[in-house]
Amino acid sequence: MALFEIRSLRKQFNDHQVLKGVDLDVMEGEVKVVMGPSGCGKSTLLRCLNRLVEPCAGSIRFRGEEVTGSGVNVRALRQQIGFLFQQFALYRHLTVLDNTTLALRKLKGMKKQDAAERALHELDRLDMAGHAHKHPAHLSGGQKQRVALARALAMDPAVILLDEPTSALDPVMAREVAQLIRKLHSERVTMLCVTHDVEFASAIAERVTFLNQGLVQAEERLCVLQNNHEHPAIREFFMTEKRTP
Amino acid sequence: MNLWTAFGRDLIEQSPLILGGLRDSLLLTAIISLTGFFLGLVVFYLRHCPVALIRMITRGYISFFVGMPLIVLLFLMYYGLPQWGVRLTPFTVAVIGFTFNVAAYNAAYLTTAYQALDASELEAARAAGFRPFPIFRFITLPQVLRLSVPALTNQVIRNLKDSSVAFLIQFNDFFSRVQELAATNFMFFRSYLFAAIVYLLLVMILVLIARQVERRVMLPGVYTPPENLNPTAN
Repeated sequence: MALFEIRSLRKQFNDHQVLKGVDLDVMEGEVKVVMGPSGCGKSTLLRCLNRLVEPCAGSIRFRGEEVTGSGVNVRALRQQIGFLFQQFALYRHLTVLDNTTLALRKLKGMKKQDAAERALHELDRLDMAGHAHKHPAHLSGGQKQRVALARALAMDPAVILLDEPTSALDPVMAREVAQLIRKLHSERVTMLCVTHDVEFASAIAERVTFLNQGLVQAEERLCVLQNNHEHPAIREFFMTEKRTP
Repeated sequence: MNLWTAFGRDLIEQSPLILGGLRDSLLLTAIISLTGFFLGLVVFYLRHCPVALIRMITRGYISFFVGMPLIVLLFLMYYGLPQWGVRLTPFTVAVIGFTFNVAAYNAAYLTTAYQALDASELEAARAAGFRPFPIFRFITLPQVLRLSVPALTNQVIRNLKDSSVAFLIQFNDFFSRVQELAATNFMFFRSYLFAAIVYLLLVMILVLIARQVERRVMLPGVYTPPENLNPTAN
């Protein structure tokens, strides 16, 4: 069953048209990867899905319900959608545990003890329980991303959106995150990930959606896209990525 | 008789008045530091309100009170308002005038600290489903306050020093009592030196407290204690 059904999604910032009619489905339990060059609209697409950015036109159905336009409980929608940011976006004044429990206590109304138990369970799942009382400043990039993932998972979301989750990580840490995503995928966690890291994409999904200039250009196996594709933009993207150390 | 001994004797004679003045100076400092802090918080919050008109008004408030000399504000209220039938005690004028002035400065400090916040944290809170006020309460405010501690504690020190201006509107603070002492024994240099030493000691105590507060509430990873800085390190 499709968790997200996106049809003819458009977004324009002043004169600049970022999304020009995107069609995309995200199935339950799937890890969907969207790739494309910088500025192609990947991050805007993700932000439209939880209404951090208001789409100009088109339709987004989440679990069969339209979530664009007025009359939608946007905050309730956001609570069902986890979001992972490039720069981790951990609250730096809070410990790892408090980062993970804040939304549980303040949005879900859980008691402190219950929230802590839930958070520690998620942190333990991602091997971060031992760092629960540290502040984000005392963690490595990979550890921060794991905490961000635990924070998202603690809310028991229907889907997690990942916005370039490895762009601030070195290759070793990026592989760690890929491993985690594979683990979560095996546990049937639905994820939609935008990235331009080919190695990372190949580690987490077989098929990739290629976005270029605000449109879905192709949806194929990654090896097909990489192998001298007929579309010049796709060919150029993968050639450039190969050259990038 | 030695002049210093004579000055000491006068000081002891006048000590009930001088100590009373010192108490009132400290009381005024404490009150305006608190009221100025809380009003500053309100102004800072409204400064980031989604309603453009409110943002404009708060910007105007900050510009007006930061731009206006404090003494002009105090004179306006103490000598000007009675012409409109509003008569306030020196203490009330001092508290209101200082509060407006201090709040404007505090709001400006908080606004500066706000610029140093990581915007992605605020976006993450929105993405999690938080409403604007809880984002302010749980994410923005704790960080902005911690980042502003040096400026806010310096403002308390400044409040203590500036409170001496209140004697110009007949408020019997510490400085006004020292002035009375100087006027009675004509030992101006000794009297004002004494006042300077007392203010200096009080400021030193406040500085020590302020540094302790800074250490306790510092944001992890933001503050580096000077002793940990190694100038020879790469």
